[in-house]
Amino acid sequence: MSEYRRRSASAVLAAILVLIAVVGIYKWAASQRTEKNVDIIVTVKAKSSAIDFWKVLITGVEDAANEFGATVSVIGPPAETQIDVQMKQLEQAIREKPDAIVMAATDYNRLVPVAQRIVKAGIKLITVDSSINSDDALSFIATDNRAAGQKAGEEMAKLLPESDSSKIAIMSYVFGTSSQMEREQGVREWLRSNSRIEVANTFYSEGQLDKAYELTKELLQADSSIKGIVGLNEPSTVGAGKAIQDLGLSGKVKLVGFDSSVDEVKLLEGGVLHATVVQKPYNMGYLSVKTAIEAVRGQKVPKLIDTESVIINKDNMYTEQNQKLLFPFVGE
Amino acid sequence: MELFKFKSIQTNIAAASACLILLTAILLGVISYQLSASSVRETAQDYTAELIRQVNANIQTYITSMENISVLALSNEDVRELVGEAGSNRTSSEELARSQRISAYFHSIIASRKDIASINVIGYNGSFVSDRGQAELNPSVRLEEQPWYKSAQEASGRIVVSSSHVQHMFKDEYDWVVSLSRELWSKDQTEPRGVLLVDLNFSVINDTLNNIDLSKRGYVFIVDEDGNIVYHPQQQLIYSNLKSEKIDEVLAKGSGSFTTDEGKTSRIYTIQDSGFGWKIVGVSYANELIGNKREMQLSMVAAGIFCLIVGLLLAVLVSRNLSRPIKQLQEHMKKVEKGIFNIRVPIGNPREIASLARTFNLMVVKIEELMSQVVREQEIKRKSELTALQAQINPHFLYNTLDSIIWMAEGKKTDEVVLMTSALARLFRSSISRGQELVSIRTEIEHVANYLTIQKIRYKDKLDFHIDVDPDIYSCRTLKVLLQPLLENAIYHGIKNRIGTGTIQVTGGKRDDYIWFEVSDNGVGMEADTLRSILEPRKSDRESKGVGVVNVHERIQLYFGKEFGLSYKSVPDEGTTVTVRIAAILGDEYAGGVGA
Repeated sequence: MSEYRRRSASAVLAAILVLIAVVGIYKWAASQRTEKNVDIIVTVKAKSSAIDFWKVLITGVEDAANEFGATVSVIGPPAETQIDVQMKQLEQAIREKPDAIVMAATDYNRLVPVAQRIVKAGIKLITVDSSINSDDALSFIATDNRAAGQKAGEEMAKLLPESDSSKIAIMSYVFGTSSQMEREQGVREWLRSNSRIEVANTFYSEGQLDKAYELTKELLQADSSIKGIVGLNEPSTVGAGKAIQDLGLSGKVKLVGFDSSVDEVKLLEGGVLHATVVQKPYNMGYLSVKTAIEAVRGQKVPKLIDTESVIINKDNMYTEQNQKLLFPFVGE
Repeated sequence: MELFKFKSIQTNIAAASACLILLTAILLGVISYQLSASSVRETAQDYTAELIRQVNANIQTYITSMENISVLALSNEDVRELVGEAGSNRTSSEELARSQRISAYFHSIIASRKDIASINVIGYNGSFVSDRGQAELNPSVRLEEQPWYKSAQEASGRIVVSSSHVQHMFKDEYDWVVSLSRELWSKDQTEPRGVLLVDLNFSVINDTLNNIDLSKRGYVFIVDEDGNIVYHPQQQLIYSNLKSEKIDEVLAKGSGSFTTDEGKTSRIYTIQDSGFGWKIVGVSYANELIGNKREMQLSMVAAGIFCLIVGLLLAVLVSRNLSRPIKQLQEHMKKVEKGIFNIRVPIGNPREIASLARTFNLMVVKIEELMSQVVREQEIKRKSELTALQAQINPHFLYNTLDSIIWMAEGKKTDEVVLMTSALARLFRSSISRGQELVSIRTEIEHVANYLTIQKIRYKDKLDFHIDVDPDIYSCRTLKVLLQPLLENAIYHGIKNRIGTGTIQVTGGKRDDYIWFEVSDNGVGMEADTLRSILEPRKSDRESKGVGVVNVHERIQLYFGKEFGLSYKSVPDEGTTVTVRIAAILGDEYAGGVGA
């Protein structure tokens, strides 16, 4: 009797041991697997546009995805102004249940509800380049736009004589985007506290070159006291530059811009554009995905990562480091 | 085995084998993991080195073809003329025609090649010819300030290969190129005349390097001799200090490889010197080289656990097989302890245990036998004592004696009556003997004397006797009523049937370590057959002849051992002598030792 009981007891013990071992190994293997695969959806502000900025950012996204072993799909509306499209795309993205969503918000306020739904669905939210008016994102990876604006203001002040007659205008892009608001604030703050230069008005190009061109042309024809223009993004800068060029005001009306493109490079070389504040979209894309993966793996991520900006002018544009920023792609 | 102080054999064996298996599994696992890891690492490093060599060969092909093109260009007479002339000693139409010829020549060189972006000659005399014919130059570019121009001048005639850069000398063109430049000298090698520039589309190198699959995270980068990055997949991260390469170490090392000391993210650099200033570097992550490191570890651990479980089960099984028969044996022993002898341990399998069981079984049988023997002997002892007692108070003897007394009394033989009655009284008194089995020889001899006295009175002249026992043994002990049955036998079977007076002689003494008595008569004696059978065990209690004698023999043997007892000698018609041998037991010894 006792023999039988002992035998069955040891059998049960062995069975439990085997079970524990199998379950343990399975759990471990499973945990290894989850560490390997992270699904991330990245939404940019304008996917099909020819703006280099987003293309470079996506390159950074892809490089990080390859390096850290994540599956990334990039979505985004065709143009920056199509806020509704981005919201719809994000709703769809939530249904796909990725581990994380990296978002460049087309609107500072209107994307807040979607962001809240993302967080509620248990998806890690990281914002990149343009943030939202809420605290839902775990981390925000962007150029310190206010500092960048201040740099632009400082550069403009160097170009203009220090007098009350120096009046400038700001060519902004989409009203309501966090990045444009901060850049404008930066420009205005620096000029107000460090110079007597007056900021006359802010115009909105809607991120379109033609509109910036028309607005600038109208402005300069109407008000000859405008001695400088600060373009807050690439199309706005190029549009303003072309208008200045066409009006024969190159060098007379100072232009400080943002971002880079071949057009801007030509304007720089042609002396129309005096300086441009260049961001680092590659780093933004790379760091946003890296941060998203860290967040998914449960690491603590910083609330804000500044990817910095660089002032580029005619003299330093072909240095080893700057040419890589101005011409990010080899062989196109 | 101080370590294994468990109570049962089973636990001991299980624990020991578990430790053994665990140790073996860990040892084997670690060793084989190390071996396979290092072999995988070596393979991966060899692969990387081979890949880097191929990349180097590819790039060198490009550079070599650029060099060849530069030689071709230099050997062209028109080019020499173009840069050779100090002024315009030819008409401008001639000049134009020559420029067109050169341009066409350059164009023909690179027409079939995608990798060469442009060939240009810049004369110090202000002339400029390109393969692009009437290419418009970028107005904002001053050629003589370009790095490739300046370094060609510094190298004075030698070939200079630039790092990768954006070529912006042509209007609206911003292509990434690698520039090969070289200063042109006059035929007599006395003065420099201009600069030749051959641009290689950097995209060809870029594509080559992008398509390299080192490992998941591995990559290739190129630095020039000044430490400038020619190519790096994540150049911007380097410039922003988000990543760093060990460029100083790379530059310090010619070719070969080294491993950085960065813990988990240690990188292995494989460097190949291209021969023209560039260094091609393959970088792979040390922990990634062993791609299936986790799987290997996993399978090692799984195999280890499996071995452990199987081993434990086996150990438990074996130890149980071993300890079960021992336990069985123990249970049987307990039963024997309780006095149950009719059990046999089944003889199981382990040979040692089986022989133990067999011996145990034999032992139990032996004990059982001995026990029953003791019981039997005790029984015989009681019986023979009873018989001895019966012999002592033989009613026939008493009746005959009393009859004799009556007869003598009637015949007024008062003296004889007194003698006989007192002898009878002494006989009985001596035989009461307080219930003890052993009596002193003195008592026994008195008893013999009394008995023979009575018999002598009864048989008158027909019986005579002598008692001659060594007085030294009087204090020794003997069984009571030992000699009476022998005397009885001698009288009834020896003397009684004899004609004339029969004499019984009783002697005794001590020899060596035993005591002997001899009862001899000169009666009729015994036939050989009778003599032989006289000491054989009784076939039946009813057989009166020799009953007493056999009983005496058995009693002696039971009490003192097989080496003691009776022995008969007899010659028909001459008499019989019976010798009694018993152990010498002193009076004191008896009182202290043997007991009742």
